[in-house]
Amino acid sequence: MTMAVVPSSTVEHGPARAWHSFRSMLYWHLASLRIWMMTLAAVQVLSGVGFVLGISLFFKHIPTSAALFVSTGVPVINLVMVGLILGPQLVADQRSNGSYEYLRSMPVSRSVNAAAWYTVCLIGGVPPMFVSLVVAWLRYNVPLHLSAMIIPAIVLTSFAATMLGYALAHAISQPMATRLITQMLVFVIFGYAPVLFPMRQMPRWLGTVNWWFPFRHMATVTRAALTSGPSPGLVTSYIVLGAWSVLCAGLALRALGRRP
Amino acid sequence: MTSRLDHLNPATGQQAVAGGDDWSFRVEGLTKRFGNLVANDDITLRVEPGEVYGLLGPNGAGKSTLVKQTIGLMMPTAGRITLGRFDLVADPDTARQLCSYLPQAQMPIEAFRAREAIELAGRVRGGRRTEVRARTDALIEALDIGEWRNEIGQKLSGGVKRLVGFCMAAVCPGRLVILDEPTNDVDPLRRRLLWKEIRALGAMGCSVLLVTHNVLEAEKSVDHLAVMAAGKLVAEGTPSSLKSTDRSQLRLQVMLAPGQETPVLPSWAGVSTRVGHNLVTTIAEDDAATGIAWAASLIDAGTAEEYALSATTLEDAYIRLTSHLSNEDDDEAPRR
Repeated sequence: MTMAVVPSSTVEHGPARAWHSFRSMLYWHLASLRIWMMTLAAVQVLSGVGFVLGISLFFKHIPTSAALFVSTGVPVINLVMVGLILGPQLVADQRSNGSYEYLRSMPVSRSVNAAAWYTVCLIGGVPPMFVSLVVAWLRYNVPLHLSAMIIPAIVLTSFAATMLGYALAHAISQPMATRLITQMLVFVIFGYAPVLFPMRQMPRWLGTVNWWFPFRHMATVTRAALTSGPSPGLVTSYIVLGAWSVLCAGLALRALGRRP
Repeated sequence: MTSRLDHLNPATGQQAVAGGDDWSFRVEGLTKRFGNLVANDDITLRVEPGEVYGLLGPNGAGKSTLVKQTIGLMMPTAGRITLGRFDLVADPDTARQLCSYLPQAQMPIEAFRAREAIELAGRVRGGRRTEVRARTDALIEALDIGEWRNEIGQKLSGGVKRLVGFCMAAVCPGRLVILDEPTNDVDPLRRRLLWKEIRALGAMGCSVLLVTHNVLEAEKSVDHLAVMAAGKLVAEGTPSSLKSTDRSQLRLQVMLAPGQETPVLPSWAGVSTRVGHNLVTTIAEDDAATGIAWAASLIDAGTAEEYALSATTLEDAYIRLTSHLSNEDDDEAPRR
């Protein structure tokens, strides 16, 4: 028989427990990804850098304004990729292999678990974002002006994307449906949201549709923090992004706590 | 050596529970419906601290549904689930703190080293680093899995993964430890070590709810057991009390020849079940000679290859109650 222990006789709530759980779950999430970490880092960097460099293959001469748009749009892709695309796919895998049940049975509050995963998304998104910016600056010599507003822009963009992904992951019980929807989102962000190109190049109706979705606003707040000059609609974009974040966080936490 | 893991993180808001409190696990009138399907039908049971309580039943009996309601993954249609003075249905966060759980599915440890997974599970459950580490080492040694201590999960065999999963549930155990098929894929030698550690959890004061198909193993290791079938609790008691009904009975097991239909059973045969080529029935002690003659005639006719007559086991009570063999893969309809 092993050393004797006394089973826990206490139920703990409060900040100390939350902080302990947060650190444990942050380690859990990071360690869970470690065998794919190099691949993930490569995919993140290559998707950003690849787009920055690849766009010059399409056009012989790229106007500075277009180069600036691409250079300030790619960081948004880097920021949202982990939380919006990878996160739901990981949860879909957990549902498929049966480990989702164990993870939901862990004695960690839903909000603390979400906070730990959001931190992972920041860790996975911010470094590739800056790599993409440096490569863009070296390749196009675009006039970037990094302001302190980059901090709230990163925090909110990543949070909105992570919570949207978290809501999709936990509210949709069919893993295949989750995978299909995340694939569709990649398609939407690259092709039908004004992230890598200006909205004036879109049909008016598509611009109106985009106003209600978060991707355009992610690009607006991030671009405003990376460039000088006027940023029309910046406050509105922060408000819309904040609303999406709150809505998605609420949906995600509700889905996680759902007991059929 | 006694290590108290219950004074960890003296956080504000900590709810201390007096040591003398009744920590029994009680399920009262639990009913769970999915539309017209009644997965749990008015289940009532009680597990005392220190007790290893087996929950037996075939697939679809409602065992996992009961467990999921206990740890806050499902909401009962009616009834109560309490642990000590805590209402686990009303407060699923508390349920998850007070219950540790080994699910039937594999644990998500592909990227973790075995020791790391166990330690991390202990840390997530609120354990102190040094105590969790010491307990982890002790469990690894007790289950004889030291050679895989630093191996990552994706390189572990199913049996070793199962043992690591058990350690994750036992490293910092809750007042209720729920183990769903803990011995699946585990080799016979380490099964014995595992049962010893399951008993040890009881000795530490945990209530252990053991969900299993394996009646023969459970018979040797549980204090009490309940048998579930079609959502109902069809029997409850000690292994001896459940066997008492079959005390004047014998077990006749006939191994049918490949490709043979099930023979017509004589009127003296009790409830019978066939799984694969294995036909099992109970007979009265007075019918022993008749039973042997019948089995021998099947062999003479080429219908059967061999037979065995033995004392009844808990499995015979299980067959009587559920019309299933334990550990069966392809059950056929029960026969009179």
